[in-house]
Amino acid sequence: MSESDWEAGEGSAGGSTGAPGGLSDGEFAATGIPAYAVKLPVFEGPLDLLLHLIRQNDVEIAEIPVAEIGAQYLSYLELMQTLNLDIAGEYLVMAATLALIKSRMLLPPAPGEEEEEVDPRAELVARLLEYQRFKEAAGELERRRRLGRDVFEARGAEPEGPVEADREIEVGLFELIEAFKDILNRESEGPSIHEVDVEIVTVYERMQAVMAILESRETVEFMSIFGDDSGLVPARRMLVATFLAVLELVKVSACTVYQGTNADGRPEGPIRLRLRTDGADPSWQSLVAEDV
Amino acid sequence: MERNEQRRIVEALVLASPEPISAARLGKIVPEGTDALVRELVGELNENYGKQDSAFEIWEVAGGFQIRTRAEFSGYLQQLQKQRPLRLSQAALETLSIVAYKQPATRAEVEAVRGVEVGAVVKTLMERQLVRMVGRRDVPGRPMLYGTTRRFLEIFGLESVKDLPRLKELEELAREQGLAGADPEEAGDSDEEDSGQESTAGVEGEGDGASAAPIEPSA
Repeated sequence: MSESDWEAGEGSAGGSTGAPGGLSDGEFAATGIPAYAVKLPVFEGPLDLLLHLIRQNDVEIAEIPVAEIGAQYLSYLELMQTLNLDIAGEYLVMAATLALIKSRMLLPPAPGEEEEEVDPRAELVARLLEYQRFKEAAGELERRRRLGRDVFEARGAEPEGPVEADREIEVGLFELIEAFKDILNRESEGPSIHEVDVEIVTVYERMQAVMAILESRETVEFMSIFGDDSGLVPARRMLVATFLAVLELVKVSACTVYQGTNADGRPEGPIRLRLRTDGADPSWQSLVAEDV
Repeated sequence: MERNEQRRIVEALVLASPEPISAARLGKIVPEGTDALVRELVGELNENYGKQDSAFEIWEVAGGFQIRTRAEFSGYLQQLQKQRPLRLSQAALETLSIVAYKQPATRAEVEAVRGVEVGAVVKTLMERQLVRMVGRRDVPGRPMLYGTTRRFLEIFGLESVKDLPRLKELEELAREQGLAGADPEEAGDSDEEDSGQESTAGVEGEGDGASAAPIEPSA
């Protein structure tokens, strides 16, 4: 088990001890839980513990001797308590279940009901068998030759242009605003232009300009639509209008904003725009409100 | 075009593709190629790699072909990596297995099998891009449904989720290993678990327990 890679709290007391670091000492004091709580290192839950005990007793799951196994189960819980290990609620529920089954098995069959009597253990046995199957499936998964551990792939470089759909992620508004902030910063770093004429740009004009680029190339880098060919740093209002134009185009589904991902699935590379061709209506203009 | 040349084109494409490349895609690029021909050619390539005692072979993963190094070199190749290999705890593997076999599955369904809470583990599996949300079940509360990702198939060298060994076969395996098991018929709702993977029987080729991925030379 690789404790370091995975969060604790699994198989121990659920939410209350998942991350001791997340709670202040005061909170621990208030709840009376000792600040020192350890994840039970061996068992992945009550079913796992039961399977272990069944194996140790060398009995069939279907023939589980509930009284004996139940007693061993309880003594195990006591041991856990002695060791100051944290006992999850699920372990206690199982203890109660075992006690219930045990008491049912002690009851004499009700007269006249002998024939359709159900083994009180049936449900528990079914659960144990199912859990065992998936435990085995997990073992099988672990034994497979794993990419990045046992085998390594030959991989060509990503081609230029749009990335395959399943290797890219849609970019959210915040990432977009982040990127726009960079553009604004870039603007303030550029040579300042003594502006005499105030050029009026409308969002609608910028939408048309962006769409013209997209219709000729299909995809374009988000950063690149903010410049123009003059080499001068565009005016701030131009930048803002362009940014709003992008938002508007996304809203009317004329284009999508996406970013490629690296092998780990983390976003990587420039944010790009792509013309949407999947939409039924290609005439994006009709979707745009007049007052933009 | 000569078969030998077509085979070399396939080899070049599989080698240089940034991700597993499907038989259909290869068939379109290779002159006079078809899905079936491409599969045969890949089989021949693997046969050649075997004969040459090559350090790599072609696998079929996540619906495409990919060249992968043989497992015996893992120790050397790990030294080449920037990151440590992905390690998965027992809790993670169990949860991942349940999601893989039962998908689409709700968290409650996974918890019912494991008998413990799985919220934190599912979250980590999602961060590792092995599990994703695939929708919501149309019952009160509309619980989230989880399934495995394409990345999951790539990591574990599976062609598709149908490629997973059947649960009943696993039980037999468990019995052989002397673990206490019982008649599969008694295992309650076994029909449900098997749904969605009916077509897996008989795909196993080699006997080393991880046999599904590298494809055999075609007959």
